[in-house]
Amino acid sequence: MKVSHYTVHSPRTISEALNILKDGAARPIAGGTDVMVQIKDDLVKETELLNLSYIMDLNYIRDDGDFIRVGALTTYSDLIRSRLVNEYSPVLVEAARTVGAVQIQNRGTLAGNVGNASPAGDGLPPLFATGAKVKLQSEASEREVDIGDYFLGVRKTVRQPNELITEVSVRKMKPGDYYFFKKIGLRSANAISLVSVAAVLVPAEVLTFKEARIAMGAVAPTVIRAKSAEAAILNCQLTDEKMKEVGRLASEEAHPITDIRATAEYRKQAIAGAVYEGLYEIVNGFRSPVNGSSV
Amino acid sequence: MEIEVSFVLNGKRVTVKAPPAKSLLRVLREDLDITSPKPGCEAGECGACTVLLDGKAVTSCLVMISQVQDREIWTDEGLVKDGQLDPIQKAIAEEGGSQCGYCTPGFVMSAKALLNSNPHPTEKEIVESISGNICRCGAYPRLVQAIKKVANE
Ligand SMILES: Cc1cc2nc3c(=O)[nH]c(=O)nc-3n(C[C@H](O)[C@H](O)[C@H](O)COP(=O)(O)OP(=O)(O)OC[C@H]3O[C@@H](n4cnc5c(N)ncnc54)[C@H](O)[C@@H]3O)c2cc1C
Repeated sequence: MKVSHYTVHSPRTISEALNILKDGAARPIAGGTDVMVQIKDDLVKETELLNLSYIMDLNYIRDDGDFIRVGALTTYSDLIRSRLVNEYSPVLVEAARTVGAVQIQNRGTLAGNVGNASPAGDGLPPLFATGAKVKLQSEASEREVDIGDYFLGVRKTVRQPNELITEVSVRKMKPGDYYFFKKIGLRSANAISLVSVAAVLVPAEVLTFKEARIAMGAVAPTVIRAKSAEAAILNCQLTDEKMKEVGRLASEEAHPITDIRATAEYRKQAIAGAVYEGLYEIVNGFRSPVNGSSV
Repeated sequence: MEIEVSFVLNGKRVTVKAPPAKSLLRVLREDLDITSPKPGCEAGECGACTVLLDGKAVTSCLVMISQVQDREIWTDEGLVKDGQLDPIQKAIAEEGGSQCGYCTPGFVMSAKALLNSNPHPTEKEIVESISGNICRCGAYPRLVQAIKKVANE
C-alpha cells in the first residue's frame, strides 16, 4: 500500500482517541518504531492510523503504592532517566538500556512493546518477572489484565480492536530483591534478542531465596515463566552445580524455533547459559540488590 | 489525501503539505530540500537519517510527518552558522571521520545530541551514543576521536 493511502487521526485527549477507536478500524501508533517498519514492509492492513503522540495525558511515570504506573507514551529513555523506575524496577531499566540504540529508546514505548506482542520484546520479560498489569480502555469500559494473561501467541493478545492500552503498571521490587536481565543478540545495538531472560529473586536469608520469578523471551510464542527453574532456586544454597541445574531446567522449559538468526538448539543452550550467568553474578557479588531508598 | 503540518526546522517555522503517514525523512528530502538526512535502511537500523526532534536523536525514517506539528527539528544544515561549521562537524572533518560520507550527517546529529546533554562524556558514553549509527567505511575510531576532541575543548 502506498503511504498516501493512509489516513491519520491525531487526537489530543484519551477520550477523543477512544472515540476514534470505537469501531476498531484504526491502528494505534505511538513511537512508530514497529509500525513504520511494518508500513514500509506493507504489513499494515488498516488504512487508518491512530497517532497517539499528542495525547499528553498518556505521558507519565507515577508512583502509586505498590505500583509504578507508566503511561502509554512513555519511552525507554523516559524509563532509563526516571529515578522512581531506577529505584523500584531496576530490572526494567536494565532491559530498557538494551533496546535498539539511543534513537529507538527515544521513540519506542513500553506500551508499544506490549502492543507489538513479539516474544522477543525486551521490555516484556521484566514485566513478567515483576508482575505487571496492562490497562485496556475502550469508550465503554476499562479493565486491567495481568501480564501473564495478556498474550495469546505471536502478535496475538486479548486486546480488542476498540481498546487502547493506556497504561502499564509495574509492580515495585522490594529492597533486598536481586535481579538480572540478560539478552543475547547478534550485536549489542539494534539487534533483536535471540533469547532474553529477566529474573527477580526475593531473599530469605543471605543468598538463599524464598521467591523466584524467571521470565524468558524468544523461546516460545509468548514470553514464558521458567517454573521448574524457579522452584529449584528456593530455599537452598546456590552452589555452582545448583546454578547449572537451574539453567538446564530453564532450557528444558524453552521451546524455541529455528529461524534465520539462530537454531532452536542454539537458543536452548543460550538460555541455560544466560540463566547461569545471571545467578553466578548474584551469588558472586557482582550484583547489588534493590536499594529502595537511595539510588 | 494530504495534511498541512507546521513545525520549527533549524530555527525557522516551516509549513508543509504531505500525505499524513509519510516519513519525516522523506518530507525533509523531497518537500523541504533538506538532504543531509540520508535514506539508508529506512527501518531505523542504520542511523543515516538521524535528526534532533525536540533535542533528542531520532531516526527520521520512523517518524510520521503527522507527529511533528509544532515540534522542533534540527538537521546538519542548521548547525552551520554564518558559513562556519559546528565544532563537531569540524572535528569529524579534521579527524578524518568521514570517508564516503553517506553516514556522516547521522553521526553528526547523534554526537550533537550527546554533547548537548553531556558535554564531557566518557568513551563508553560516546560509543553508546553512536551505536545506532552504522559506518560501512569503518571510520568509528576517528569518529570517537572527533567527539572526544570536542568534549575536551
Ligand atoms: C532499529 C530497531 C531496533 C529495535 N530494537 C529492539 C530491541 O532491541 N528490543 C525490542 O524489544 N524491540 C526493539 N525494536 C522494536 C520496537 O522499538 C519496540 O517494540 C518498541 O517498544 C515499540 O514501541 P513504539 O512506541 O515504537 O510502538 P509502535 O510502533 O507505535 O507500535 C507497536 C505496536 O503496538 C501497537 N500499539 C502501540 N501503542 C499502543 C497502545 N497504546 N494501545 C494499543 N496498541 C498500541 C501498535 O498498533 C503496533 O501494533 C526495535 C525496532 C527498531 C526499528
